[in-house]
Amino acid sequence: MKPKSKHIFLVFLTILIFFPFIFLVLLSMAPEWRFPNILPQYFGPDNWQTILRSETGLLHSFLISLLISLSVGIVSTLFGFLISRSLYYHPQRKWLNLFTYFPYILAPVVFGACLSFFFLKMGIFGNITGVIIAQFLIAFPYALIFFSSFWNKKIKSYEDLVATLGGNQWQKYSRVLFPLAKSMLLICFFQTFLISWFEYGLTSIIGVGKVQTLTIKVFLFIKEANYYYGAISSCLLIFPPVLLLYINKKYVFKNRV
Amino acid sequence: MFLEIKNISKSYKKEKVVKNLNFSLDANLTLSVLGKSGCGKTTMLKIIAGLESSEEGEIFLDAKNITREKAEKRNTIYLYQEDLLFPHLNVFENIAFALHIRKLPEKVIITKVKTMLDNLELSGQDHKMPNELSGGQRQRVSFGRAIISNPSLLLLDEPFGSLDSLTRNKMQKLFKNLSRKYNITSIFVTHDLKEALLMGDQIGLMKEGNLKVYDSKEEFINDPGTGVQNEILFWDKLKTGESVEENNSI
Repeated sequence: MKPKSKHIFLVFLTILIFFPFIFLVLLSMAPEWRFPNILPQYFGPDNWQTILRSETGLLHSFLISLLISLSVGIVSTLFGFLISRSLYYHPQRKWLNLFTYFPYILAPVVFGACLSFFFLKMGIFGNITGVIIAQFLIAFPYALIFFSSFWNKKIKSYEDLVATLGGNQWQKYSRVLFPLAKSMLLICFFQTFLISWFEYGLTSIIGVGKVQTLTIKVFLFIKEANYYYGAISSCLLIFPPVLLLYINKKYVFKNRV
Repeated sequence: MFLEIKNISKSYKKEKVVKNLNFSLDANLTLSVLGKSGCGKTTMLKIIAGLESSEEGEIFLDAKNITREKAEKRNTIYLYQEDLLFPHLNVFENIAFALHIRKLPEKVIITKVKTMLDNLELSGQDHKMPNELSGGQRQRVSFGRAIISNPSLLLLDEPFGSLDSLTRNKMQKLFKNLSRKYNITSIFVTHDLKEALLMGDQIGLMKEGNLKVYDSKEEFINDPGTGVQNEILFWDKLKTGESVEENNSI
């Protein structure tokens, strides 16, 4: 391919990738853009101001989603890291590793239905705590599988070395293991955050409509054929992942060079 | 005696890898332990370091029973064949690691590390990251990191195994100098006959989990089981032009 046509092809490809996102932003700022109008009658931030109004509850959903996903991301990453270490040193680790795949055998909706009985008994059905725990049960095994590749003989040697140099458990983690796993911790947090952020099936069953995350809200607006609010909520939905992607690119991949 | 090992034994899956280990070592001396791969040398060192537990026996260090002490409380440093420098820390921070753990004042740490860098002939390299160092330099940093914390006992598990012969010779000399300077008591495990003779004040031979410590180097050299005689014969035959095919060292 000639350099000029390659350049044109790349520009075309970039436009193709970014067009849906740009269109979403345009749609969210054009509340009365109907066929056959080529341009919208009004173009401005009116729709976005409705986020602050309580009637749509978008801001509330955004904050709830943020709270749930941050909790799931942080707890899954931290516990996944610590428990995966115990798994690595366990004599039956092959069997235990196999169990970590269990939540993925079932579809999230089926998994949610199985959990709902226990959640109902524990009184965490239809509240944020229940949704966080349910999503944790999906994200945590992912973190376990993710970190299983981190532990090896060399890491064990580092741990032993820190011990003979006089380091206690806390110093071992804070001065050696966490810094060594920094990139993996960031990526795992990013992934588990995304698992939680876009989770729909399990959240809709455990949340029973009372916990309206942003993903649930997007589906609601689309069901109502409210494209403009759907566009706003979609914009809000992709904002945190884009931010995390930027952070990942800036810190994780930079460190790997 | 500074270090006393009494009846230490260890098994893996019913196979005894260390059998009734008994030996002692005076302070500021180096015991070279020669042995083939898989003879139990590493397990012995790890038991002394507190990284593995023994089924029976006792370990006394400076008249204190440390058999049940955790590794971090023994002040016994175990050095691997690999240098194991922390990749996220530079040379200065790697050497200062044990001092930071002990929460020494920053001024003391800077002074001690600078002196150590001079001793290791690494002055001016303190800001470099491990991936910017050669194999020999990395091993020197690893030594410095261990010695700076003034360990009661240094356990070296074939530390020069991955180095080329020239760097290995330099490192052997450096270790001897540092041992004298910092009054280090150490056990030096190797499978290299020449290295065992050069590094040790005392020499031991480990075979199938049993360790025999010789009273003198002469006794070690004269024992046909150590392979020294075979080695001498090899070089003699080489000099006279005879066939050397059937020569075997230990």
